Amino acid sequence: MSKSEEKTDVYNIENASGEEEHGLSAYVPERYRKPGEIGFAIIATVFGVLGYYFALGMTSDSYSAPSVFPKLASVIIIACGVICIFKACRKDAPEPGSPNVFRYLFPRDVIVILLMLLAYCVLLPKLHFIVSSYLFMAGGMVYLHRGKYIWQSMLISAGAMVVLVAIFRYVFLVILP
Amino acid sequence: MLQNIQYFLTPFLDWQMILLVWAGVFAGIWVGAIPGLSGTMAVSLLISFTFSWELNSALALMCGVFVGAVYGGAITAILLNIPGAPAAIATGMEGYPLAQRGEAGKAIGLCTTVSLFAGMVGVAVLACAAPIIANFALKFSPRDFFLLALMGILLIGSIGGGDPVKGVMAGTIGILISMVGMDPSTGELRYTFGNINLMAGISFVTAMIGLFGISEALTQFRGGNDNPPKQNLDKIIPNLKTFLKYLPLAIRSSMLGVFIGALPGTGGDVAALLAYDQAKRTTRNPEVPFGQGAYEGIVAPETANKGAIGGAFIPMLTLGIPGDAITAIIIGGLFIHGLKPGPMLMIETPHLFWMIVGLLIIANVALFILGLLSVKPFAKIIEIPKSVIMPIVIILSVIGTYAIQNSVADIFYMIGFGVIGYFMRLYGYATGPMVLGIILGPMLDANYRRTMQAAEDQIVPFLTGFVTSPLSLMLCIFIFFMIFSQTKTYKKWRKIS
Repeated sequence: MSKSEEKTDVYNIENASGEEEHGLSAYVPERYRKPGEIGFAIIATVFGVLGYYFALGMTSDSYSAPSVFPKLASVIIIACGVICIFKACRKDAPEPGSPNVFRYLFPRDVIVILLMLLAYCVLLPKLHFIVSSYLFMAGGMVYLHRGKYIWQSMLISAGAMVVLVAIFRYVFLVILP
Repeated sequence: MLQNIQYFLTPFLDWQMILLVWAGVFAGIWVGAIPGLSGTMAVSLLISFTFSWELNSALALMCGVFVGAVYGGAITAILLNIPGAPAAIATGMEGYPLAQRGEAGKAIGLCTTVSLFAGMVGVAVLACAAPIIANFALKFSPRDFFLLALMGILLIGSIGGGDPVKGVMAGTIGILISMVGMDPSTGELRYTFGNINLMAGISFVTAMIGLFGISEALTQFRGGNDNPPKQNLDKIIPNLKTFLKYLPLAIRSSMLGVFIGALPGTGGDVAALLAYDQAKRTTRNPEVPFGQGAYEGIVAPETANKGAIGGAFIPMLTLGIPGDAITAIIIGGLFIHGLKPGPMLMIETPHLFWMIVGLLIIANVALFILGLLSVKPFAKIIEIPKSVIMPIVIILSVIGTYAIQNSVADIFYMIGFGVIGYFMRLYGYATGPMVLGIILGPMLDANYRRTMQAAEDQIVPFLTGFVTSPLSLMLCIFIFFMIFSQTKTYKKWRKIS
């Protein structure tokens, strides 16, 4: 499948929602389930279950105990999660030809940027802010330009870094990581 | 009286103070526009910076930064869908779709014009009715703050969009996240898992930057064209007819903002969200539906958060109680300069009160002029290709997050929230309610528990308090109306009438 077809697929799936056409004021339930929608609702429900489980370890001897709100919030999350799972199950299966869960969540650009963010997080404590941020910015721009305009990307990144460091470090006195 | 007029005119006759207010507004606009950098941070920096200055000059600069920063938050919300401050979350919901249609200039122009109006309303109320409102605000008990937070939580229906169940779920997850850290009343650790970085809790600004900034960037990387929408910058100042059309809403929202701003502990963020909600409920047949770029959705939150500026000064100047975080810092500044903020401040130093009124008027005029002058350069930001702007936005988000408490862990949390926000957007869970939950969770929890403790942990006295106190009863009726107005019966009735 070509890249443009891949993008069109992703858009079709997103626009299967009635929200795009009717606006957010009038919610119209979607007809087709998005790939991984049930899984996401299950994860959110499990989050609520874990929230309740860990709240059991908190003091809960009175109505004003620290555990009251965590427990209440967890129960609401679980209830909403169950409704979301139920609603997702009632929808039609994802449209034929729609991408699998992984490809739906992570188109190539997203996965590359996420990997770059991961590398940035690893490099930040070691190379510190200026070097790691420059590498991320320049790398990101070069990648998003599909390998074109390398020098321009490096220059824009350098210029942006100079401006950011000057403003934050010397005007707002922010200590950079 | 004549003496008060003289005090009021002092800043207008001192070119140095005027200049400092303008410089403050200019700096404030940029500080407010950058996610993570806040007016609170800028004013606290100014405390040390202006330590050796005379009081009048220091106050001029602080007032300017305060007004500018509240306005600046809307700029990135409209242009990039990344609110510079929580008070601009609602603005971004309507402003960003407008920017995508090439109407960013018109949106910022309207936002600037109504900001001037609301700022003046706030100042007028401050000048005319400060003691009355301050005394009324003091009548709010923890139960009323609990109800106010509950009203805020009910806004999930307004700002969630899409499936209401998903909105409630996202908002409740936000509340649960806000519980992380040391419980402020008992010191008990909640959801910290022995991690020292979690003991201070998760800053809602960290979550906001991740959920809006990083998730927006990731969503943009999903594809589509790299050509940004061309902006129409011909008519950025709304004409009189347009202004008059939104005037009733602007008056309502700015008055709401003044009142919410005057309540200690609540500020422009809560005011803006409540105003957005009431605009959505009360506007009949908007030209563009809410969620797709309704101008009413810009006017309401922006007038509310500007009105809240004047409101925040009311308890500060009349009782010595800060209305929000920035006025708390200004109180600290007054102490440093040898004053004693408290109920006697207005009696012992009336010149200070009237001078602040004058400074706020100058700041609002400066905001109007500087705001309109910066519409074109700001609108150009959106015309930068996303392959260039998005990596810069991510780095800006990193700096903004780190600046909150100089913690690398916060950067990781912010990126984590960004990825979660990206998944949420894909599956139709709005990120706004989650931020709302994180902001209002502590207020809800703390005030519920205070109320319950006051009722000696007994359910019946706790519940009866809601009907025996006139203020609580009024708020309960508001809440009931908020819920009722979402029902089909009410909507049907409104269509008929």
